[in-house]
Amino acid sequence: MRIFGPNELLEDVVKKDLCIGCGACTYLCPYFRSYRGKTAMLFPCTLTEGRCWAYCPKTEVDLDDLSKRFFDRPYDGDPLGFHGSVKISRAGSKVGAGSFQAGGTVSALMSFALNKGYIDAAVLTDRDGILPVPRVVTDPGDVLKCSSSKYTAAPTLSGLNQAIKEGYKRIGVVSTPCQCIAIAKMRSNPTGIDDFTDPVGLVVGLFCTWALDFRAFDAFISERIDVNKVTKVDIPPPPAEIMEIYTADGKQEIPLDEIRKLVPDTCSYCIDMTSEFSDISVGVLEGRPDINTIIVRTKKGQDIVDEAEKEGFLVLDDLPEENLEHLMWAANNKKKRALIKAKEDGLINTSQEDKRSYLRLDPKTLKNIIA
Amino acid sequence: MTNIQLSKDPYNIIITGVGGQGNVMASRVLANMLVEKGYWVTIGETFGSSQRGGSVMSHLRISKESSWSPQIPKGRADVVVALEPIEATRVLKDYGNPKVKILSNTRAISPVGVIAGELDYPSMEEIKKSARELASDVWFIDATDEGLRLGNPILGNIIMLGALSGVGVLPMDREGFKGVISRSIPKDKIDINLKAYDMGEQMVKV
Amino acid sequence: MSYLSDSNEGARYLLMGNEAIVRGALEAGVKVAAGYPGTPSSEIIENLSNVGKDMNIYVEWSVNEKVAMEVAAAGSFAGLRSLCAMKQNGVNVASDFLLHLAGSGTRAGMVLIPCDDPGALSSVNEGESRYFARLVEIPLLEPGDFQEAKDMTKWAFELSEELRQIVMLRSVTRMSHASGNVGFGRLPVSDVHAEFKYDGFVLDPMEGIVISAPVDYRHAQQHEKLNKAREIFEDCPFNTYNGPDSPELLIITSSACTLYSREAISILGLKDRVGLLKLGTTWPLPPKLLKKYLSKTDKIMVVEEVLPFLEENIKILAAEMASEIGVKIFYGKNDGKIPMVGELNPDIVVNALAQVTGIDYKPVSDEYENKAQETATGGAPSRELTFCPGCPHRASFWSIHNALELDGRKGFVCGDIGCYTMAILPCGFSSLKTSHSMGSGTGIASGFGKLGGFGFDQPVLSVCGDSTFFHTGIPALVNAVHHESNFTMVILDNSGTAMTGFQPHPGLKVNALGDEVPSIDIAEVCRALGARVEVRDPFDLEETQKTINQLIEDKQGVKVLILRQICALSPEKKGKKKYEMTIDEEICLAENCGCNRLCTRIFRCPGLVWDKGKKVTKIDDVICAGCGVCADICPVGAIKRKEAA
Repeated sequence: MRIFGPNELLEDVVKKDLCIGCGACTYLCPYFRSYRGKTAMLFPCTLTEGRCWAYCPKTEVDLDDLSKRFFDRPYDGDPLGFHGSVKISRAGSKVGAGSFQAGGTVSALMSFALNKGYIDAAVLTDRDGILPVPRVVTDPGDVLKCSSSKYTAAPTLSGLNQAIKEGYKRIGVVSTPCQCIAIAKMRSNPTGIDDFTDPVGLVVGLFCTWALDFRAFDAFISERIDVNKVTKVDIPPPPAEIMEIYTADGKQEIPLDEIRKLVPDTCSYCIDMTSEFSDISVGVLEGRPDINTIIVRTKKGQDIVDEAEKEGFLVLDDLPEENLEHLMWAANNKKKRALIKAKEDGLINTSQEDKRSYLRLDPKTLKNIIA
Repeated sequence: MTNIQLSKDPYNIIITGVGGQGNVMASRVLANMLVEKGYWVTIGETFGSSQRGGSVMSHLRISKESSWSPQIPKGRADVVVALEPIEATRVLKDYGNPKVKILSNTRAISPVGVIAGELDYPSMEEIKKSARELASDVWFIDATDEGLRLGNPILGNIIMLGALSGVGVLPMDREGFKGVISRSIPKDKIDINLKAYDMGEQMVKV
Repeated sequence: MSYLSDSNEGARYLLMGNEAIVRGALEAGVKVAAGYPGTPSSEIIENLSNVGKDMNIYVEWSVNEKVAMEVAAAGSFAGLRSLCAMKQNGVNVASDFLLHLAGSGTRAGMVLIPCDDPGALSSVNEGESRYFARLVEIPLLEPGDFQEAKDMTKWAFELSEELRQIVMLRSVTRMSHASGNVGFGRLPVSDVHAEFKYDGFVLDPMEGIVISAPVDYRHAQQHEKLNKAREIFEDCPFNTYNGPDSPELLIITSSACTLYSREAISILGLKDRVGLLKLGTTWPLPPKLLKKYLSKTDKIMVVEEVLPFLEENIKILAAEMASEIGVKIFYGKNDGKIPMVGELNPDIVVNALAQVTGIDYKPVSDEYENKAQETATGGAPSRELTFCPGCPHRASFWSIHNALELDGRKGFVCGDIGCYTMAILPCGFSSLKTSHSMGSGTGIASGFGKLGGFGFDQPVLSVCGDSTFFHTGIPALVNAVHHESNFTMVILDNSGTAMTGFQPHPGLKVNALGDEVPSIDIAEVCRALGARVEVRDPFDLEETQKTINQLIEDKQGVKVLILRQICALSPEKKGKKKYEMTIDEEICLAENCGCNRLCTRIFRCPGLVWDKGKKVTKIDDVICAGCGVCADICPVGAIKRKEAA
């Protein structure tokens, strides 16, 4: 696949509003930065090939290539992506008390992995008011400080890039589907760096239907409350159709319809609801706000989950059949809708040539999914 | 004691270099030496870009009769004294002519465009070749290096003045030089300046 | 002691035009001198301040040209000869007072010395000061060479006293900054006593009150003064003619153009065909004198810069005298023989003359010209202007630029006058998007800051130097605070008036004469006005950029950010390195992804040199000022700084 550079990244992604602000292109160099949810290029760069373009989850994502690398098989369009077991889970008693969202599975996995040395650093997303802030955490006790969901797109991968610079060799990341794709691209060494070693030890992906544009969300919320006083943000399960914002003074409810207007266009092209390119994916069980759904994809992921369960960090159980069907249906819907839209807008490359596209996909697979 | 006469009136000298090299000081010393000998001297200079990386030029008109335009007319430089080599090339564009004499330092000061990696600085061979093609007589001397050896790179300018004297077209001499600098520099610095002047004179006779 | 105060009558020196003017003022016994730094005028006040103490002259760098003129006027009212000096657009600043001063008249001799900058060699305009003489109706003199610069200045004080009117003596860059032989006259030995008399008859010019009213009376007086000047000018030795009795063509010129015209005539060998009428008194024009010379020929060429001031005034006279002198053919700016724009030089005049006389003139052969052009184009890389190594502005604009890019709302900077005007260029990351006159950056920004009601949501910044702040920045800030304008004023405080040669201003503890004086705290002034004020060190890049982002997100009223760091050229700092800088060539990423030569390609400090051969950055120890800022921009930490011994 041909690699392009920062100017193409600017033209094809940033200027076309495809950028989700994942942070993959930031802190690789002095030019790209993320600020309050927006990706900015500080100065012009004259290079024609760059890691920034190569790692971006919105440039030429070759799904077959990534799938073969990480799962030894071509991309087949499975709604949940390639997976092993799909179960339900929650944090076990060994995990300290903390204000985690839902079942606390993510916090449990990361603190366990740090504890046991599976990873030497964890890249998590903290919050400053409602502004998401990437954090590199090395003390398992600090993991819980970053628990709780953030509904706005976050430049978490700038934290990953910083952790790599600081020399960590087995980094764990908690990432959204688009961020997982960027990480997968990065790990495949697309620019052919000599002596490249994979610095990522564990990827815990999150389920995601959409994320909110931070600046739009900030402007919207600021009209209603002091954003510096926000303690928690939550979207309870249907049929509530609201977003709950907690401050020290209490809770405010906002109709989800209003919130959906703050979803950036780029999310409508996203084909991945369950973070298909991860070791372990975690979401909320439909209808049960205190329990997680957990999908294990790799052997490494399975090893960690097994050991965590054995040592009391994680409690697992079977996923009811109707929940699995519903999950697959929802995931497939998102994938289908996104692919149809991307195809209409000319963003999919189904040929053998290199093009400046967003997704690269075998035409047969595309047809199967859309049909 | 010199008895050189001007071969034409006005006789036109350009002293050129980069801001901060001592262009103005050199032109003042030379001008005062000639005023002492009874000449009218007109100097044209621009200040402004001097500290901030720009080229600087002093135009000197030496005459027995009167003041002249502070800007030398096109194609009328008689001698170009360059404290920096590409500045010689630069002034020839407007003021050069087949009879011009060039006396240039060899120490390069790269423009910002060059040190930023965008422009190329020509090699010394290229500069010398161009100079020979556009002038009647050419001298390139390592004035800054010799100045450094004497203890201060700024003495390079004095060496250039001595060299200009050695070229033999102007009524300049050692006594005149000593008289001028005695009025403006501390007594203990006079000897080293004279040494530099003498060295310059020697360097063009080689 | 300065050679300008040499008491030997008859001494001869090589003097700059400005120095000659100073000598003339000293020979006239000037006692009060005020001005504001402005190239090409600054050396006048500087040289006077060098001799001020020894010769008992009060010399002041005022906050702006208007106040400078007022200070000098007080000297004149109290019986002391006074002068004020400024660059061309300084007269614009002082013009309101000048208008009224021309009405009230003066007492002891007072001379206004504007130094124009045709071609804008050190300006962002090539405005004309000469028209002010005509506009406010005062006499105008223009010296044509260095001796005249001295002699005319001395005479200007005498003329001013004879007329009880301020006299304008106009110089240009190529006179002020050029040098030539000047013979000295006598220095006065008398002492003077200052007293302001006001008890006499109200309209008495020397003992009454000094006001520009009643206007019709005063205005009529102005006319009488001009008429008197006109008479005097008919016989003035500064108006000279050289040439044949019956020239084919008459050149009328003034100022530095005299030297160009004389040389052009010489180059073309036209001494016997072309006459040169040099006018030293260019307003009001002496009609009898002009009639005499206009009668000599039908072809008249006027050579001047920048605007056709002389040309148009001469044409008016010629039209009035047409029945007596006949119809003339005029060459000059209006017919295109002399360019309307830019400064003149001997070649332009040669060109014009050659066209009119039909002479074919080539300074060098085409072959030589082509070769020289080609060689210069390839072999002499241009020298772009940049901030000095160690300049705080480079660091300030780095942070300003980055803060605006991160903010992402198409924010911009309104520029002002000073070294930082260069931030229009890549050395300041092309940050300035407007630039006009002194103090106008803040005025314009405050205007933008009131456009919110029209959907305007771009963050606005102004930059203003510390000297500029005192010049005209304060009224703009007062206006902005009072009207609750939403913008951020960035005061670049480098402790001096740097661009013009580091003159002092009220923010410093020293004045023009070198005395210790109270300084005025800029931050306190801004706080007293009610602005939100923050002070930062621009060399702390991270903190500065963070602060700027915070300030531009604050939509309430005026924010003032003072970036305080001393100029690299200041006498205190010059030559002293705070850090020794080195590059670890092993770590330097250079052209590779992850850096792409950020330091040499973008930051562009002259101390950082790109080694094309080794493909790494190097430090030029001679040029590096040791400020240490570059160590903070290197993405891989290859630039090392160590405290200097």
